Amino acid sequence: MPGEDRDRDWQIGKVHRKVDAMERMRGITRYTDDLKLPGMLHAKILRSPHPHAKILSIDTSAAEAMPGVFGVVTGQDFRIPYGIIPWTPDENALAVDKVCHVGDGVACVAAVDEDTAIAAIAAIKVEYEELRAFYDPEEALANRDRELTINPYARKGNLSKHVVLEFGDVEGSLEGADLVVAGDYFFEGTTHGAIEPHCAVAQVEPNGILTVWSATQVSHYLHRELSKVLEIPPHQIRVIQPPLGGAFGGKSEPFDLEFCVAKLALVCGRPVKLLYTREEVFYSHRGRHPMKMKYRTGFTKEGKITGVSAKTILDGGAYSSFGLVTTYYSGQLLCAPYDFGSYRFESTRAYTNKPACGPKRGHGSVQPRFAIEIQLDKAAVALGIDPIELRRRNDIGSDSVTVNEFRVGSNGFQECLTRVETASGWQERRPSLPYGQGLGVAGSTYISGTNYPIYPNEMPQAAVQICLDRSGRARVFSGANDIGQGSNTMLAVIVSEELGLPLDDIRVLSADTDLCPVDLGAYSSRITLMVGNACLNAAQKLRRKVCEAVAKRWEIPRKRVVLAKRMALDLENPERNVSSAEAFAWAEADNGLLGEVGSYNTPKDRHGDYRGGTIGASPAYSFTAHLAEVDVDPETGLVDVKTIWVAHDCGKALSKRIVEGQIEGSTYMGFGEALMEQHIVDPEHRGVHTGPNLLDYRMPTFLDTPTIDAMIVEAADANGPYGAKEAGEGPLHSSIPAIANAIYDAVGIRLDTLPFSPPKVLAAIEERQRRVEAGELPPHKAERTARRSA
Amino acid sequence: MTQAALLLTMKVNGDPVEVAAPAHWTLLEVLRYKLDLIGSKQGCDKGDCGACTVQIDGVPALACLTLAIQAEGRSVTTVEGLSLGQGPGRVHPLLDAFDRYDAAQCGFCTPGILMAAESLVRERRAPVTRDEAAAALAGNLCRCTGYTKILDAVVDASEQILANVAKGGAGEPSTSEGEVSDAR
Amino acid sequence: MLRLPHFQVSAPTTVEEVVAALKEEPGARLVAGGTDLLPNLKHRLEAPEQLISLGRLTSLRGIVRDDAAGVLRIGSQVRLAEIAADPQVAELFPSLATSAGLVASPSIRNTATIGGNVNLDVRCRYVNQSEFWRGGIGGGCLKSEGDVCHVVPKGRNCVAAMSSDNVPVLISLGASLVLVGPEGAREVAMADYYRADGLRHTKAEEGELTTEVRIPLPTTPRRVDYVKWAVRKSIDFPLVSVALRFDLDGEGVDAAITAVQVVVGVLGAKPRQVSRLEAVIGRAMNDPEVALLVSEATFKQCKPLPNVPYEPAYRRQMIRVYTRRAIQALAQG
Repeated sequence: MPGEDRDRDWQIGKVHRKVDAMERMRGITRYTDDLKLPGMLHAKILRSPHPHAKILSIDTSAAEAMPGVFGVVTGQDFRIPYGIIPWTPDENALAVDKVCHVGDGVACVAAVDEDTAIAAIAAIKVEYEELRAFYDPEEALANRDRELTINPYARKGNLSKHVVLEFGDVEGSLEGADLVVAGDYFFEGTTHGAIEPHCAVAQVEPNGILTVWSATQVSHYLHRELSKVLEIPPHQIRVIQPPLGGAFGGKSEPFDLEFCVAKLALVCGRPVKLLYTREEVFYSHRGRHPMKMKYRTGFTKEGKITGVSAKTILDGGAYSSFGLVTTYYSGQLLCAPYDFGSYRFESTRAYTNKPACGPKRGHGSVQPRFAIEIQLDKAAVALGIDPIELRRRNDIGSDSVTVNEFRVGSNGFQECLTRVETASGWQERRPSLPYGQGLGVAGSTYISGTNYPIYPNEMPQAAVQICLDRSGRARVFSGANDIGQGSNTMLAVIVSEELGLPLDDIRVLSADTDLCPVDLGAYSSRITLMVGNACLNAAQKLRRKVCEAVAKRWEIPRKRVVLAKRMALDLENPERNVSSAEAFAWAEADNGLLGEVGSYNTPKDRHGDYRGGTIGASPAYSFTAHLAEVDVDPETGLVDVKTIWVAHDCGKALSKRIVEGQIEGSTYMGFGEALMEQHIVDPEHRGVHTGPNLLDYRMPTFLDTPTIDAMIVEAADANGPYGAKEAGEGPLHSSIPAIANAIYDAVGIRLDTLPFSPPKVLAAIEERQRRVEAGELPPHKAERTARRSA
Repeated sequence: MTQAALLLTMKVNGDPVEVAAPAHWTLLEVLRYKLDLIGSKQGCDKGDCGACTVQIDGVPALACLTLAIQAEGRSVTTVEGLSLGQGPGRVHPLLDAFDRYDAAQCGFCTPGILMAAESLVRERRAPVTRDEAAAALAGNLCRCTGYTKILDAVVDASEQILANVAKGGAGEPSTSEGEVSDAR
Repeated sequence: MLRLPHFQVSAPTTVEEVVAALKEEPGARLVAGGTDLLPNLKHRLEAPEQLISLGRLTSLRGIVRDDAAGVLRIGSQVRLAEIAADPQVAELFPSLATSAGLVASPSIRNTATIGGNVNLDVRCRYVNQSEFWRGGIGGGCLKSEGDVCHVVPKGRNCVAAMSSDNVPVLISLGASLVLVGPEGAREVAMADYYRADGLRHTKAEEGELTTEVRIPLPTTPRRVDYVKWAVRKSIDFPLVSVALRFDLDGEGVDAAITAVQVVVGVLGAKPRQVSRLEAVIGRAMNDPEVALLVSEATFKQCKPLPNVPYEPAYRRQMIRVYTRRAIQALAQG
């Protein structure tokens, strides 16, 4: 694997202070909203109060005439559509002829201050002709009235994407199965909830260079789309991502504000800033798709899966966003850690009059994972097999090929299962927990980036440039977006490991399209593997140069020179050493300025040979097991999640505590989705969001969050730097079904729809009690309860 | 739009400050826009997230729900105040613990959490428990960490502060030299 | 950023100055901690031209036991965090210490005052949103810009919910408010202070300021509690909110009940005092029937509305469960 030839670990896998944390904690880091430029204007967007309407006219004259107003733009200023996926450009920066959800942008004003901009957008007169709105994806799909096609660029009515793929004889395998579990599942929509609202600032220089600072996790794609929509060549645009206050997929495509500030800066000749209100963040959304899922899974009596049939409706909202990919992912990413035997999925994404859905942490695969892991739990109960054992029996293993022809390399799933089983005391405790208490398990997998980029090209997926200077420092230039996950520190750790410098001697400059090599961005858990590999590639070239120069002066073979602890040492005679600065000076004398570039491209032999077979294929897969302990109050329906044990195979933890933080944060986010979060609009009230603020959209607080016991499993992968795979998204997935399965263990009810709100839990408990009283079901854990009371 | 401004006198991070601000501004706006103290963050607009938590006369308060005039004559401490006078190798024990535990991921909620936590650990005679820390920080949302490492850091910092007091340092900042230990 | 509307603000230092200022500016709004008013202003639920900050009324910041009058006097500018931590309150009125400690979040309790909390505006899922959002539902409702009710179809009376944690408790404790206005001071029993009209949910008159909460000191042994259910354990307003008080003829759990008060919040604009509880008078506190009788009566008399999140039928059922459990716990210790 890359990095294997290194001399020793002196940084890899250790605990590190992050390279940029201290300045964030001191309050001196400037996030986008902390930027202030001379003469800067403030912009506000006028948004549609209607879920679906034609725009008949827009009169901006009163706004333009207001003192303090410097510019007004509307959809007419942005007639070129864009979209993060090049095949589905179906949105405009501001609505051109129609609005498609409550909160759709209609016009934007730049003014001397926010108050003036707010007053000015209120003075804009828009005439609408309201259209019938669709909130249910199946109703939207059934519509045949062209007038009511939601998305202005849609070619197939309200159908956004339809994918059917079949691998093997599914119907035959289900017919031949000893057990077929059938279930209908619904995953409610949820949103990212990064604490930093979206913000963008733009400035134009006299030479025409447009600079856009944006709280984005995809500066490169923003760069491309700005160029396309504004019809300005890319070399005249610079995109800078300032330090970011969280994203989770919510900032992974261009948004109206970036186009608006750029255009208004051009129009007004002044810098322009736009900061979303929290409410606008909810309208921008791109969160988890609500999915209705119909699953049939066949099992042998030994618990082996014989086949899986899945039918999924995705509620896409008004625009495509990443929807083409989401639709594939809803089926394609399910085929590990279990060997399916045969598999068929049909996924249909519909446009609806809601804020657009897109990628939220665990893009497209958290929803089907919820369904399949409950399916497995139902099978375990029906077959009388321990749920962990059932999962072990279906483990696809390492160096395997999935039913949909993806090649899996390393696989630590078995160890993940064992770790949570042991830590939770599953074997001893589960058989004796009384009614109301339960343990549940679930497993999952995720990609470490995808083999093919969003827009087809032959160039590397990641590149890094490193310079060393004679003071003994290193500079790392990377296009990758550190969104708080610590990717800048990850790069510093690799450079540190290879060049023997402490992290403090390494400066990472990232996500500035003028100064850094292109990187595709922080999404699909690609950065550690891809950018890490590119960085390792460059760092190793430099290490060889430095070692060569030292070896030459010491007249020893290069292999004997080690770089560590701010020194170069002779491996066989460590007394003989020289400072890094001296070693770099020798190397610079021999080679000229010490700079190297490294790049990484994905292997192209790991996907399926069929249409769509590249989508979701990854160089390496992470694996996770979650085990949840719950206490369910049968009289109130309250679910108290006490502890979640989570073991995650990240290949190799480059920085231990950062990896733990990703596992903990992911698990927490899944927990919130399981119990309380709902991103929904109200069909009874003209499609308004039911609570676009952080009081009504309830994210768990310190007091709600369970104890999370994060364990790192390391099945090193040949494709990862030092064997590393992803850790930022995988550990969300099985958090949710583990809780569902624990609730079943506690009180004997199946919750196949999210979230597990107290009224829903209570209704299910009462329904079960009714059936027990009618003699249709035995009491849950009757023996244990009887034993306990005896 | 112009409006008659208030002339406010307050102490900010120990220094006397005179600042003019429109009457309808909040303390958060005064700090961020007038004093360029950008450490206090704006996350939710209206008191639901805690990212703007500062201390007024030593007590945590939400700057986004505090009118500028309500800070008149009072002593306001922002996150920037925790780092004043702290030279190389000397850092507030809370910041040091947050740094060692990677308790700040994106760092956007961190200033507010630090201000709420500082009031909890200040002048303690016994180490803070995880439950106490969770209760004190329950108005501060963090979306990155799952809270685990923040609790680790606050408990650790409270122990550090006690140890410093025992050494006669009266809660003096600890030094942060040397290797990062794996404290888990 | 969600911004405040323009206004002028003054900060008087005496009650007399406040009363004078209110007289001078009849539309002026009082702001104490601001944690309720400021979000409402940011949502443009009102746009007063003048605010009067009560932050400098140092005379209203005390908690004083007045044995001569037989009351605990809590100044209206006392912070909720101070009440939650006050030893006298904990000793005399533990249910108030509980309710004050359960309001919103720690930082909000550090700022919010008891005077503000007893005058907390009523809340509704169709009201407490931005002006833009209310435009989306068709232009607000009875309580904002509109003329319809989204909770009760064709309703003409605003049923926004009393959402203070402390008000049910204070009513159960027989507390009264001291209001000072141009005509001088008057004392109003909190049980009579609230009106079943979300547009004007208190009986405070124009120009009046709440200066004090007076709670009669206990004259008999009693057991009290406050129970709250909200989705989250912090930040949230209550969705189920019940205050309980049992006066007893002795200290033990088998002492006889001489009086009972059950007050429920988060129904309509007015908290409900549960009536017809005579059946438990004379019974022992630990008589298992007590919890059943009281919780059943409470259930029958309380009908939550879809004015706050979560199904009314569920919340109604939970009022019964939480009430019963709280009484059972009181009968234990």
